[in-house]
Amino acid sequence: MPAPRDIALMVNGQRHVLQLDPSAPLLLVLRNDLELNGPKYGCGLGECGACTVLLDGKAVRSCVLPVSRAEERQVTTLEGLGTIEAPHSVQAAFIAEQGAQCGYCLNGMIMTTVALLERNPSPSEAQIREALAFNLCRCGTHMEILAAVRRAVAERAA
Amino acid sequence: MTPRAQRELSRQEVLRQDGVLAITRKRPPTPGTDPAANERDEEDVFVAVFDDGSVAAFNGHVDLGTGIRTALAQIVAEELDVRLDAVTMVLGDTERAPDQGPTIASETIQISAVPLRQAAAEARWALLARAAARLGSDALSVSEGVVSAPDGRAVSYGELLQGAREIVPLSGAAPLKPVEAYRIVGKPVPRVDIPAKATGGLTFVHDMRVPGMLHGRVVRPPYSGLDGGAFVGSSLLSVERDSVSHIPGLVDVVVIGDFIGVVAEREEEAARAARDLRVAWKAFSAPASLDDVEQALRLNPSTRRVLKDTGDVDAALAGSAKRLTRTYSWPYQMHGSIGPSCAVADCAEGRLRLWSGTQNPHMLRTALAQLMNMPEARIQITRMEAAGCYGRNCADDVCGDAALLSRAVGRPVRVQLTREQEHLWEPKGSAQLIDVDGGLDMAGGVAAYDFVSRYPSNDAPLLGLLLTGVVPPEPAVLQMGDRTAIPPYDYSAMRIAVEDMAPIVRASWMRGVSSLPSTFAHESYIDECAAEAGVDPVEYRLRYLKDPRAIDLVRAVAERAGWERRTGPRMKGEGDILRGQGFAYALYVHSKFPGYGAAWAAWVAEVEVNKRTGEVTATRIVTGHDAGLMINPDGVRHQVHGNVIQATSRVLKERVSFEKGLVASQEWGGYPILDFREVPEIDVMLMPQPEEPPLGSGESASVPSAAAIANAIFDATGVRFRSVPFTPEVIRAGLQPVVQAEAKRERRRWFAGFGGLAGGMVVAAGAALGWASAMAPAKPPGPDVFSATQIERGRMLAAAGDCAVCHTAPGGAPSTGGLALGTPFGTVWSTNLTPDVETGIGAYSFAAFERAMRQGIARDGRHLYPAFPYTAYTKMTDEDLLALYAYLMAQAPVRSVTPETKLAFPYNIRPLLAGWNLLFHRPGAMEPDPARSAEWNRGNYLVNALGHCGACHTPRNALGAEKGGAATFAGAMVEGWEAPALNALSRAPVPWTEADFFDYLRTGHSPRHGVAAGSMAPVVADLQALPDSDIRAMAHYLASLNPVAENASALATRLEQAAAIAPRQGASEGARLFQGACGACHGGGAQEGPEVVLALNSNVHSDRPDNLLRVILDGIKPPIPGHGEMPGFRDSLSDRQIESLVGFIRTNFAPGRAAWTNLPGSIARIRKASGH
Repeated sequence: MPAPRDIALMVNGQRHVLQLDPSAPLLLVLRNDLELNGPKYGCGLGECGACTVLLDGKAVRSCVLPVSRAEERQVTTLEGLGTIEAPHSVQAAFIAEQGAQCGYCLNGMIMTTVALLERNPSPSEAQIREALAFNLCRCGTHMEILAAVRRAVAERAA
Repeated sequence: MTPRAQRELSRQEVLRQDGVLAITRKRPPTPGTDPAANERDEEDVFVAVFDDGSVAAFNGHVDLGTGIRTALAQIVAEELDVRLDAVTMVLGDTERAPDQGPTIASETIQISAVPLRQAAAEARWALLARAAARLGSDALSVSEGVVSAPDGRAVSYGELLQGAREIVPLSGAAPLKPVEAYRIVGKPVPRVDIPAKATGGLTFVHDMRVPGMLHGRVVRPPYSGLDGGAFVGSSLLSVERDSVSHIPGLVDVVVIGDFIGVVAEREEEAARAARDLRVAWKAFSAPASLDDVEQALRLNPSTRRVLKDTGDVDAALAGSAKRLTRTYSWPYQMHGSIGPSCAVADCAEGRLRLWSGTQNPHMLRTALAQLMNMPEARIQITRMEAAGCYGRNCADDVCGDAALLSRAVGRPVRVQLTREQEHLWEPKGSAQLIDVDGGLDMAGGVAAYDFVSRYPSNDAPLLGLLLTGVVPPEPAVLQMGDRTAIPPYDYSAMRIAVEDMAPIVRASWMRGVSSLPSTFAHESYIDECAAEAGVDPVEYRLRYLKDPRAIDLVRAVAERAGWERRTGPRMKGEGDILRGQGFAYALYVHSKFPGYGAAWAAWVAEVEVNKRTGEVTATRIVTGHDAGLMINPDGVRHQVHGNVIQATSRVLKERVSFEKGLVASQEWGGYPILDFREVPEIDVMLMPQPEEPPLGSGESASVPSAAAIANAIFDATGVRFRSVPFTPEVIRAGLQPVVQAEAKRERRRWFAGFGGLAGGMVVAAGAALGWASAMAPAKPPGPDVFSATQIERGRMLAAAGDCAVCHTAPGGAPSTGGLALGTPFGTVWSTNLTPDVETGIGAYSFAAFERAMRQGIARDGRHLYPAFPYTAYTKMTDEDLLALYAYLMAQAPVRSVTPETKLAFPYNIRPLLAGWNLLFHRPGAMEPDPARSAEWNRGNYLVNALGHCGACHTPRNALGAEKGGAATFAGAMVEGWEAPALNALSRAPVPWTEADFFDYLRTGHSPRHGVAAGSMAPVVADLQALPDSDIRAMAHYLASLNPVAENASALATRLEQAAAIAPRQGASEGARLFQGACGACHGGGAQEGPEVVLALNSNVHSDRPDNLLRVILDGIKPPIPGHGEMPGFRDSLSDRQIESLVGFIRTNFAPGRAAWTNLPGSIARIRKASGH
């Protein structure tokens, strides 16, 4: 294991300097050192998307990303989007459309949608499905999730 | 202030509160326990109303992501006449909630909510009695927890309970509200849990953090997914604790029987320890080969149990006009929770506190008491939310793991299972085999129905009990194959039997249990009969349905879907696409026979079948659902959606694969599930039945799935498919048996390649030249001898020369040597380059250094092996050599004794190297080529002198010397990696340009070619020290060796587009593995970042698969963070899966290249070799 060193992370607008093994997965640092609940461990292989966070505004899979890759870059997690009292528009759309059954994949769905709308504010149905194709949901919440993304798109346009 | 209902009071504490009204029920003592030893309180609380108006309601079932928390709160709020948000539901906590058995079979609303509803009514009754006394009136009304008298006086529930402590036994006598008075039940209500989940609140057990908590991982035995057989629990030979002692933060390695766990301060340390721990296991062989699951089920010992026998079946069979004997089969499937199971345990002072995602807290507590040898009363389980489970997954197993580890280290431990462990060890949804014998009578009716089902499943005992040997590995036979075994049709002669049997692999209940396969058989068979009889399949079913609710539902769904009447398969379509529509119906009968009926459900499925590729797409599902009164219609609708999608996934895609009788699907590539692009249009029709009792809902909707889809495929193709799943291979096989046979032909040609280099070496010349002289040791130059400019220049030269790459051992201090360099002649060990006098180069004068660099002779006169690239360094200028010397001597000396290089005879005779040098070494600094630009000459110097690129990229001759002429930079193997050709021999599909070389050397990544990995990664890292101008010069020089790419961009785009289509189709196992395991980054999906387009990747186009295989097995740790990190799949994919995957990648992304031969051999070889 590489020796720990000071690594500076900018997470949800706050700067943290932590003594870390630079090869530690970003996901574990966010969850265990910064006690964030949003990004979830799902596969550790970048397959399912439950661990998605934004790195400089782009969706990335934090389970396969060494923390050193996020050094001095902007990391945004689910917590950084909005709060339960004042949710981000995409979070609000998922709540309104009940876009969760167990909710374990919800983080990845919301983060991927935020990133999608950043680069394409008015995606077509096919583009939405394409964008979420590699975010797995086992409960079968796809209908509600798609409705939530459509709602988020509509509200952004309004 | 926190409402009193939200304080975490145990049931005993609730009963001791002031200002409370509680509705309770005595519970009989736990059977088989000594009442004196059993400290369990025996009075369950169902509803507690507090004097602040808040209400706590308690239910033994838990919310598995189905929204049951919300629906139960609706029931309580309705009967009590309080606001919905006044109610807090407490689910499954062993200290607080009643024991109502496992949360299974969709029975929470139908069964376990019944006493809850009565208790809420009872509480309202008691409160009204108090209000009547207070207000002096019996004509009271209640709204939102406030009781009003006709004269306008009012009192709230809270006020009525000030100073009270009223404990009321549940009598069941309180009047229930009439349905027409409902204002909360039956109305859509948003789920109470989603806002917190959408904003990162603490709801999941995975998010539980306890002060002082450590992290644990387990190491599971190699008999993946088996819980029966003498070897279970007794196969461990040894654990080498030393193999992980170097890991910082490691707290303990815990071994009990076949149970192994590691505990560390940090999670990544625990993960590393679990991966690195060396463990030896006894050999074992799986009891059953599962290559043919059907056969395994037939061979599994069983006991016949006849559930129903009406009419004279044998006579009816003998007298049938047309006999139809059919077999239907279902594969092993996975629950596939998206979140691998997790638990936190705190075992201290003889008590166990557990935070768990269990489906059955009380049943788990019993198992843990056995595992820990501890009374149940000392175990408290707090149920937190977990990823949806759809049945019994590893949620309980991980609690046992956490409990054992916490007890061993005396601190709280959080255990997270890996994806692979969850996939391998979750009790599977069992395979099932159904034989139906029957036939048609002269009138085309069903003459007889003789049904026999095999379903090897039980309740999957806690894994820890088996691994530690507490419970012997003798799987119990549970009678689980009888769910919905009796068809819903009124056949006159019917015999229904189940062959009860023990599990073959670890299996337990999964959504629908045996109902899905049984209904697949019932509903396929009646469809076959209808087609034989030439009758429309819906009409045919209605002839045999007697239940009016079933008849209404079947008619309504057929009408809603636009059912197209037919008398046989229509085989409509155009081109490759055929379209069909299929029907199926079921009344889900759950729990042990005779069980209970849950909701009624019917499907009309519409499919498209691509007859060339074999792909089946479900395009539209219309489903009707009659669940009686719906507590939360939105919740029911969402559950129906979920069940339709999950069932469609199971029917079209899902099958656990086995290798040598063991589970082989370890991640989502090996077990693909439906994704967003494949989700059909879904139209749900909820039958309004507010006057009927509420029934289990949702799960019922999955039951007709397989037959509806199979019947639709039959309508489209005229071919009947009787084995789930309907993957493209299965469909192609059914439609085109001949083509399929051809495709199965195996390709096996032997790879003739690398390997003969070491043979036939003869060193004759030069033997007489003998030893070179030793040079006198020098005192290391002081730090003031060289200028800072010289040292800085030397730093860049050392980087460009990649000195540290070879002179650093894995995990060792930089430049202290000790790296083993594999050569065809044996292992050469790199030496210590720091200026330590004894073990490093501290005694080298500049002259000695220069001789070593230019002539390959050490200070003591020994000849250095040409693994040290003095043949390249000799071309360096004097000035650069001095700067490099200055830099090296300015470093801190580190004492480091490196292993002595000992080659076998004759290579161990170092003087022979003098002869070698005579033949192959051309000493002397490089002269610039005046015909070329300064940039080209600089590039040439950096590439050939300092960079010694040829040391890796030029093939060597039989004597280990770089070949010259056309062979220069023609590519070679180094340390198990292919160093590809840098010249026109490159296999890169788009020729390398100067810009590509620059990107690659500067960032470690060229979008047109790939990422620097393996031995090249540290080279790029070292090159970081060089200015852009030097990198550009190298790129300029290297590009001059390559052909000019005409229209490179257009070519790249064309290759990319051509390759983009096939993986989407998932027509082969390799394509599906690619979709699931690789697609997120390499499939053109939403994942952003430095994705490398595989169609352009040099490794995919190479003549040998080595680099691709190495990257798949061990991933990529790129030289510069930010470009091309990739996880390794060594522990997630089997050799066979990698073969399928790599075969697909080659065919799809390098379509012009021949298939790689002997992939199995290459995979096995490279898996054995350790990474660099």
